[in-house]
Amino acid sequence: MGILRDKKAYFVFLLPGLLFYLFAVFYPIEESLRLSFMKWGGIGDKVFVGLDNYVQMFRDKVFYTAFFNNLIYLVIVVSMQLLIGLLFAMLLSYMTRGVTLVKTLYYIPCIITTVAVTQLFRSMYATEPVGLINQVLNFVGLKNLTTSWLTNIGTVLAAVSIPEGWRFTGLYMVIFYSALVSLDQGVIESAKLDGANGWKILTKIKLPMIKPVLLLTLTMCLTGALRGFDIPYLLTNGGPGNVSELMSTYMYKKAFSSNQYGYGSTLAVFIIIESVLVIGILRAIFTSKEDREEKHQERIKRKERRREHV
Amino acid sequence: MYKNKIGKIIFWAAILCFLAIQVYPILWLFLASIKPATELAAAPFSLPRSATLENFAKVIGDGKIGLYMWNSIKVTGVSLFLIVFLSATSAYALSKFAFRISKKIYALFTFGIMIPVQITLIPLFIFYSDLHVLNTSLSLILPQVGFALPLSVMLFVSFYEFIPGELIEAAIVDGCSSYGIFWRIILPLARNTVITVASMYSILIWNDFIFANTFISENAAKTVAMGLKDYVGAFGNVDWGATYAAIALSILPPLIVYFALNKWVTAGMTMGATKG
Repeated sequence: MGILRDKKAYFVFLLPGLLFYLFAVFYPIEESLRLSFMKWGGIGDKVFVGLDNYVQMFRDKVFYTAFFNNLIYLVIVVSMQLLIGLLFAMLLSYMTRGVTLVKTLYYIPCIITTVAVTQLFRSMYATEPVGLINQVLNFVGLKNLTTSWLTNIGTVLAAVSIPEGWRFTGLYMVIFYSALVSLDQGVIESAKLDGANGWKILTKIKLPMIKPVLLLTLTMCLTGALRGFDIPYLLTNGGPGNVSELMSTYMYKKAFSSNQYGYGSTLAVFIIIESVLVIGILRAIFTSKEDREEKHQERIKRKERRREHV
Repeated sequence: MYKNKIGKIIFWAAILCFLAIQVYPILWLFLASIKPATELAAAPFSLPRSATLENFAKVIGDGKIGLYMWNSIKVTGVSLFLIVFLSATSAYALSKFAFRISKKIYALFTFGIMIPVQITLIPLFIFYSDLHVLNTSLSLILPQVGFALPLSVMLFVSFYEFIPGELIEAAIVDGCSSYGIFWRIILPLARNTVITVASMYSILIWNDFIFANTFISENAAKTVAMGLKDYVGAFGNVDWGATYAAIALSILPPLIVYFALNKWVTAGMTMGATKG
């Protein structure tokens, strides 16, 4: 809490940013909610249709395809980003020289536009001319595994998920690394003195100690994956057919290709509810554990106090 | 000792392997952009035997990339100015003034981090087409700034918390107004936060695809990230060399910002991560 009390200055400083924010973020949310109860093709009058769009959504087969595809996409992206990020951060934490250089290089994919990332992967997946992935498979003698990754319905969903996972492993690596190196060295030293080996220190001390960071990154990663759009849209735009359709690409298609602005908004509202729910659930799990611990501590203290009285 | 040596080799091999997966594709992109067309077709993934700037000449020659770059610079520049200015001032109000409502307003700002940008596309598209501002830089600046504000306000507030109240009290005693305190004390002290926010968002905004793809369709207003889509197929799909040259040119500015300011860029991005 600050100390200045000049009310006029307060609003002069606060309002420009606040109003801009409210207009850019909350006006669209309000409009999306309103549109999700309307039918509108872009011209003519908007017609209020009540819950029709929501009923349509839950009867829409493609909606379910997109929803379950999104779950698979989420699992691939989250596990790549968190597992590889964590593994590499652990490796780096044992490194003594050149850490900054390696970190700097490893992070580069995070700062490259998705359009470029997509082009890179498109040429790696290509069959004509033979792309890097198929070349490597040929080279190691797994010729029967080569395929047209983006048109094969068995591989396309994984093929659009992997670039997104690849792109952000560097970000999570940096977060995990800074968490790992800022751990209290005293605890680790005393564990060493007690005869704990490297593996035990890692699994029993270091990882439990960075648990808050793990939960935080999980939240971030999940909400990021729920909004995944650029790479799937650019690589296949949901195709072939709807095999690699995600929630956001489907929403985009409905709104801007079929001009169903009402139904598109319904899908957008669903994406928002999904993200807020995921964050809410994770926070609930996270805080309830802390709360439980706090209550436990309080109980112990109360008991101690009682004992002192006796 | 022997065992240790093998361990060391495995350790370094693992590090290099991870690093190669992450960096090789980008290195390859730059190499591919200086390869002559014939070599690119014959051996796309080998090291270039002869270098050529032909691809770059072709891309720059048709003039479009220059225009796209200029559009990106406009959008990024104006957005950055607004983001820094609006969040530095709002955060000052929220953290240095003694009004109880600040807490609620701050919570409102942090709520924005959860909102996916897709929600704005349909309403803003309709809004812009009513106002006839589709295909202008303005249409990109509004959502870019709006969605950057939650995090940048948080970054500024968390820095301002470190500025001791005594400093402000002393300034008040010396007769400094609330405005003077901001311009003469708070903002100069927040230099690092300004650099963090500006460097991080310059990269994120330069790279934006979804807003540009939705609100821009005319060549005259396209940004670089979106303009890149043109190059795929525009050269008859055969000319991958020119495509790679265009990509290389467009990712160069963020790379330069990143290598010059990488401490601040990663600080901003990871702060954003751990605060969300």
